[in-house]
Amino acid sequence: MEEYHPGDEVAFNPDEASNCVKECIEGIIGGVDYSQNKVNQWTATIVEHSLTQLVKQGKPFKYIVNCAVMQKSGAGLHTASSCYWDTTTDGSCTVRWENRTMYCVVSVFAVAVTL
Amino acid sequence: MSPSSQSVSTPSEAGSQESVNGGTVGRTLQWDTDPSVLQLLGDSDVGRKIHKLGASKITQVDILPKELVTYCKETQTPLAPHQSEEEEEDEEIPVPKAETETDLQDNEDNQEYTEAHPRELTEEEKQQITHSEDFLVFFDRTIRVMERALAEDSDIFFDYSGRDMEDRDGDTQAGCNLSFNRFFYDEHWSKHRVVTCLDWSPQFSELMVASYNANEDTPHEPDGVVLVWNMKFKKTTPEYIFHCQSSVMSVGFAQFHPNLVVGGTYSGQIVLWDNRSHRRTPVQRTPLSSAAHTHPVYCVNVVGTQNANNLISVSTDGKMCSWSLDMLSQPMESMELVYNKSKPVAVTGMAFPAGDVNNFVVGSEEGTVYAASRHGSKAGIGEMFEGHQGPVTGISCHNAVGPIDFSHLFTTSSFDWTVKLWTTKHNKPLYSFEDNADYVYDVMWSPVHPALFASVDGMGRLDLWNLHNDTEVPTASVTVEGSCALNRVRWATGGREVAVGDSEGRVWIYDVGEQLAAPHPEDWSRFARTLVEIRANQGDSEEEGAMEMAA
Repeated sequence: MEEYHPGDEVAFNPDEASNCVKECIEGIIGGVDYSQNKVNQWTATIVEHSLTQLVKQGKPFKYIVNCAVMQKSGAGLHTASSCYWDTTTDGSCTVRWENRTMYCVVSVFAVAVTL
Repeated sequence: MSPSSQSVSTPSEAGSQESVNGGTVGRTLQWDTDPSVLQLLGDSDVGRKIHKLGASKITQVDILPKELVTYCKETQTPLAPHQSEEEEEDEEIPVPKAETETDLQDNEDNQEYTEAHPRELTEEEKQQITHSEDFLVFFDRTIRVMERALAEDSDIFFDYSGRDMEDRDGDTQAGCNLSFNRFFYDEHWSKHRVVTCLDWSPQFSELMVASYNANEDTPHEPDGVVLVWNMKFKKTTPEYIFHCQSSVMSVGFAQFHPNLVVGGTYSGQIVLWDNRSHRRTPVQRTPLSSAAHTHPVYCVNVVGTQNANNLISVSTDGKMCSWSLDMLSQPMESMELVYNKSKPVAVTGMAFPAGDVNNFVVGSEEGTVYAASRHGSKAGIGEMFEGHQGPVTGISCHNAVGPIDFSHLFTTSSFDWTVKLWTTKHNKPLYSFEDNADYVYDVMWSPVHPALFASVDGMGRLDLWNLHNDTEVPTASVTVEGSCALNRVRWATGGREVAVGDSEGRVWIYDVGEQLAAPHPEDWSRFARTLVEIRANQGDSEEEGAMEMAA
């Protein structure tokens, strides 16, 4: 399933990953309002789908996908992250998505796998 | 193959970690605690690159909170020394509200303070101020204005015609009506006094003067009281109050001097009040000497024109004096009214025809009426008119000015229960009105309507006679409330109101209906025809044949 091309060093492509993740989010919570009952389900699904799509790309990366869904109630949210890796090959991307009732923030970290 | 577990520890974690691989992949990584320097140790079978690691950029996610606008609204009423009230209005969610409330509480406490009291004046200072000239003048003028304003329940600037419209409740019929308007009575000054004379001001049609005689119950009060009443405002107190030491028997506004009020008293003195001064006592008096009058003066009249006018007064001893209003210390001329060189005439009433300053008519206590003149070859009593069987109480010359001159006509009232109509050209009455059942105390022609006159009698009846309608009975009649004897009647200068004074000190004002009071141009010619009829009747009742036609 996983094919590694030896000698192939590809850098992480954040745009491609970001598009992939956006589509996933849209597909799951696009057009629905925040619901206390379903939100757990949503976050799990988002993470799962995003990861599957990323792995499907067949790149030699280890992925870490993080999803946060926050109800729009006037509170503020501030996060920050930093990584120590091989900046040439590894990378991350963060997708911020919102609708009328909630925010959704998905972060993808990709670490190159070297054999 | 045992899974190789490699743990990557964050730089904050202490210690280095070793992971031992027992598998085919024989590689040990040894991490140094200091992440900035990293050394990869281990043999690599495959030409492995050494990767240089570095820290990535910090990824941040910022979702800003929604800014909630909060405000606090409070009002502060003007602070009084004792308690201050405040109102607060908050419009937000509970959390901020609690905060603002506590803030306001502090403000409330801070803002209470006491006002400093104004300095109290000492008694002496107060006395000084209240007796000063400026204060008296100011006070005198302003209390009138305040009284009017306080008594009014409507706009105090409403004008005469506006008031007229309000009092139309009595005027239900077409206008042949005599309706009560108001009465004037002052608790202090009018009580137990008889109204002896009335007059309307020629300048201000709403002002009316009434004179009163002595109040026996209060010997310490002045005997003579004159009150000026104002029709225009609803206040019930007089505009001006004047006194004098002796009962005032007759009073009038000085025709050409708007500020002067002339009075003739029981003692024979003529007194003059001025409403410009704040004194209540007369500003001028005639002397009590034989040069002037020594008997009660029942008639005072200002005759003449603006530039040449005299005050004429006649007393009951037949003496007629003519005065200048500037100098009342002695009469300009005096004359004794004697008839046929016998005893003098005891004059009870005097009237000048409209526009005439020389000739006049007087009524006497014996019941005879005389025509006299002031100057000329026939100065003194001229004609005698007999007809009444009792003292003549009132006499009035025809006043209405119109296309035809009726100034030769006059009416008289007497104790013999009748009112008689005379012409100066004939010494017998033209007509005798005998509808009354008591002494008739006064009569007066309407100043605007040629065929209308009013009379009052001792039963409290006020009658309006319109000679066009009927000569047998009065056209309109009303009995004044209380049925006191009515002593005087006076038409207002416009001919729409009638004032009557009674024996209890009350002055009643009645409105005369439009139809009755307002003259029409053809009324004069109609009256001329009426006169002819009356004369014809008179001629029939007497044996006299020759009659003169009215011009």
